[in-house]
Amino acid sequence: MAKNDLSYQKAMDELEAIVKKIEQNEPDVDELNDMVVRAVELVKYCKTKLKTTEEQINSNLEELD
Amino acid sequence: MMEQLSLLDLNNRIKDCLKNNLEDSYWVVSEIGEMRFNQKGHCYLELVEKKDDEILAKNRATIWSYTYRNLSGWFESLTGQTLKPGLKILSNVVVSHHEVYGMSLNIKDIDASYTLGERAKKRLEILNGLKEDGISDMNKDLPLPVVPQRIAIIASSTSAGYLDFITQLENNTAGYAFRITHFQAIMQGSEAEESIIKAILDVNAHIEGYDLLVIIRGGGATLDLECFDTYGLASHIAQFPIPVITGIGHERDETIADIVANTSLKTPTAVAEFLISGIKDFEESIDSLYAEIYEYVKNTLKENRTHLEYLSKHIKYISYNTLKSHSAKLSALSRGIQSAANGRKKVLETLVQNYIQSIKLNTIRYLDLKNKDLKNISSSIGILDPKSVLKRGYSIIRKENKIIKSARDLKEGDLIESEFKDGKKSSKILN
Repeated sequence: MAKNDLSYQKAMDELEAIVKKIEQNEPDVDELNDMVVRAVELVKYCKTKLKTTEEQINSNLEELD
Repeated sequence: MMEQLSLLDLNNRIKDCLKNNLEDSYWVVSEIGEMRFNQKGHCYLELVEKKDDEILAKNRATIWSYTYRNLSGWFESLTGQTLKPGLKILSNVVVSHHEVYGMSLNIKDIDASYTLGERAKKRLEILNGLKEDGISDMNKDLPLPVVPQRIAIIASSTSAGYLDFITQLENNTAGYAFRITHFQAIMQGSEAEESIIKAILDVNAHIEGYDLLVIIRGGGATLDLECFDTYGLASHIAQFPIPVITGIGHERDETIADIVANTSLKTPTAVAEFLISGIKDFEESIDSLYAEIYEYVKNTLKENRTHLEYLSKHIKYISYNTLKSHSAKLSALSRGIQSAANGRKKVLETLVQNYIQSIKLNTIRYLDLKNKDLKNISSSIGILDPKSVLKRGYSIIRKENKIIKSARDLKEGDLIESEFKDGKKSSKILN
């Protein structure tokens, strides 16, 4: 999935899917590595999104006060 | 000769006749026709009975000033209406005949409850009419604007109620802005209905500029609300395209105008308060929505962050676990391979040892065997040795160092050499 098509929800869904895969599918080491790389990327994306969203919301809400 | 009477005599007879033949007083239903007062405060009126517009009966009547003062005050307080032409009343009358002024009805008492009943009946008719026309709830069904600020107001500009209303709206402590457009109208008396309807039509001509129409009446006489009980005004209010709020300023039952209006309040001040508090409620609801959104956003962000952290830790944990299990499998496998290899090596070593052992044994045996064979052969070889043959008496004949095995190989004169066990002797063939 390209980063541009990513949304917070999609990223979370994918993370959940990765957890499920790791827990249930017994991936081999190569697969596991790929999954962890992807998971780290997704977590970073979500964290950034949360951070920027919070900043945006705060600045918007400040305008109201 | 016919008896001659003076006019006075006749009138006296009529008077006597009436007095003798009629009860002291009667309760009579009639409508007030005309009404006037003299300087002393006596009330002179005409009582009529009508069927549609035709007058069926008519009598002059009086209410003496003392009686009138008592009656009218009491009547007004009960009915909210003044005694006036057009009003239907039930009155207690004494029939009297005056020599000069003729027959007249002197009103002693008026039954206010009759007039109230009449008005209630009339009101009911009007209300039913509005209902049958399907318009009675039209204005009521309009939703009130959330924040009505453009207000058309029909009132008498000089009334205390109007001034109170304006002052209250313009000086509201919250500082809400109102744009008020005043439409002048006469708010009581016989011209009121027409005047108010005209003002309503004026507002309607620029209806897009207004959120609400307020009709107020306050201060001055609190009586005579008849114009607000008419079908004409009520139908205009009911069908008005924007909500109408009334503040007609009275304490008795609501008028028909109040009933059909979107919202009816007792006084102009109450209307102003209603408008201000409506906006205040809206502002508060916005504030509380803002607070809710703020809380929601905070919580959502927090929940998401927590969940993300959990997921991230969880992935780390399960990844390590998976890796660990892979690593454990690998070690187990490697140990397995090692022990299998060791086992195999031992087997092979034993095998090799056995081979070596067996090769050793076999070689020794073989050599022994061959030694024996050799000995046998050696002894055999000893028997065959020419020396031992020579010893046993045999000799070897040679000619020119070649062994002669046949007599034919020798002819006369050949020189031969005979070998014996103890030496050689040369000889010559004789034949």
